[in-house]
Amino acid sequence: MSALSRLSPADKRLSLAEAAALVQPGQTLALGGNMLYRRPVAFVRELLRRPQPPTDLTLLCFTAGYESDLLVGAGCVRQTRTCYFGLEAFGLAPMFTAAASAGQLRVIEETEASLAFGIRAKLAGVGFMPSSAWLGTDLLALRPDVQTIRDPYSGETLVAFPAVSCDVAVIHALVADQRGNARLNKNLGIDPELAGVAERVIVTAEEIVERLTSDVDLPGPLVTAVTLAPRGAWPSSAYPLYPVGGGELLRYVEACADGDFAGYLAGVLEQGAG
Amino acid sequence: MSLQARSVVSHTLDELIAVCIARQVEDGDLLAQGLATPLVAAGYILAQRTHAPNAFFASAIGQGMVQDWAPLGVARAEELWSGKALAHASFVTLACDALPTLAPKEFFRPGQVDPAGNFNNIAIGEDHAHPRLRLPGTGGIPDVTVYSPGVYLYVPRHSRAIFVPRLDWRSGLGHSSARRAGAGPRILVSDLGVFDWAEGTMRLVTVHPGATVERIQARTGFPLTVAPDLHETPPPTAEEVRLLREEIDPLGVRRLETLAGTARRDHLRDILRREGVLD
Repeated sequence: MSALSRLSPADKRLSLAEAAALVQPGQTLALGGNMLYRRPVAFVRELLRRPQPPTDLTLLCFTAGYESDLLVGAGCVRQTRTCYFGLEAFGLAPMFTAAASAGQLRVIEETEASLAFGIRAKLAGVGFMPSSAWLGTDLLALRPDVQTIRDPYSGETLVAFPAVSCDVAVIHALVADQRGNARLNKNLGIDPELAGVAERVIVTAEEIVERLTSDVDLPGPLVTAVTLAPRGAWPSSAYPLYPVGGGELLRYVEACADGDFAGYLAGVLEQGAG
Repeated sequence: MSLQARSVVSHTLDELIAVCIARQVEDGDLLAQGLATPLVAAGYILAQRTHAPNAFFASAIGQGMVQDWAPLGVARAEELWSGKALAHASFVTLACDALPTLAPKEFFRPGQVDPAGNFNNIAIGEDHAHPRLRLPGTGGIPDVTVYSPGVYLYVPRHSRAIFVPRLDWRSGLGHSSARRAGAGPRILVSDLGVFDWAEGTMRLVTVHPGATVERIQARTGFPLTVAPDLHETPPPTAEEVRLLREEIDPLGVRRLETLAGTARRDHLRDILRREGVLD
């Protein structure tokens, strides 16, 4: 029985383990934040502590980083939908790069426009949004599911980016309240809109207070559950609370370069085990 | 310019690249700053500190519009791009409502580039399901290069693997007959020289101090076209070098783009130690 049945609009709090249990095999899982900033790392690690972590996931991220590379390395991901999968100054995402180069992972090419217009379409309740992106590049050949249409006014050819949605979105917040209101920071990524296209939205938060009354980026009605996760973005940042955990990211990259992803993962999962 | 200012100032290639980038900035420009491109950030800020005091920055980190600057960082980059943002938006708003019409100037770093300035940031290898090397991805390149008039390229480590006669994948649109709006890349800055596109073909216009046409040709995978008035790239001034080293980028973040292997990793570790985030 899912812990969801316990939740009410007045109190959406779940434990991290209860929240992580909501992700099912084969689902589309979206991870919020951007690059090395405000990623739901604590949630991902908890997902990987399950006796049987979910497999066959479609991973949806505006950009994917360390948190996503853990999921790929652990064998949870069948395909990715993102416009960038890497570790910024820390280089290529090692497990993604290896899996995608070896043909073990399906990469669905996305760009800023295909994700942004696709999310816009879903939010607007229509099947697509038109755009002038991609025309003349190889992207249409790489995404045969994406169609073009004729602008009925000008006659121009446009790309019809299909609506984008997901089963579960996980977004890390600086602070949230019991009713699901959540405050992010200025480095939003696509989080406000992502919350609108997800079947379920899990907010992990540095702090949970009784009531937020201003400066909310995700209003409660969009949010399914809130989970306390102090330092839950680390080693990505939660500006202005803490910067990117550079030493930890170096340690990860070096462990993978030495072929020891499994040892690294076992180490970090043990550290935080409740 | 006086002989004094022209006299050879000791500089490194990363500083010359940043200076060449800065020279492409005009006062009042809106400059887009991409992902993990500190040479570009250094060049933009240098331009603002010298000849373009009214340049604005639009950053992929924080999706903000920024007019002030702060020294470059790795672990604390948000102190600049979020902390000093005048306004910010989500990336959905930026991608749908701003980039197609605001057309900022932006420097991209290609994984492969062809003579027409088309470029590839998808993968190396013709089998998409099983490439020789998967690259991180294209960000907004297949979007903005299709309609923007302000696309520039830079290559910190010029090689035949990057300058190729034929791309594996075309994710950035160059000087192509498929183009309906915007323009192909204006300029390409590498660690060996500066190129433009005369009549749609990449053309060497200046050679960096110490490089030669022969050496550039040897490291380019297609026959070079050379401008009739080919000359040496003017070196940085003493003040430009001082600004980069002492004010804009004292940690040397820009060098993460020109170093490789162990040297790069050691330098990154040093930056992180000085930022206080190594433990």
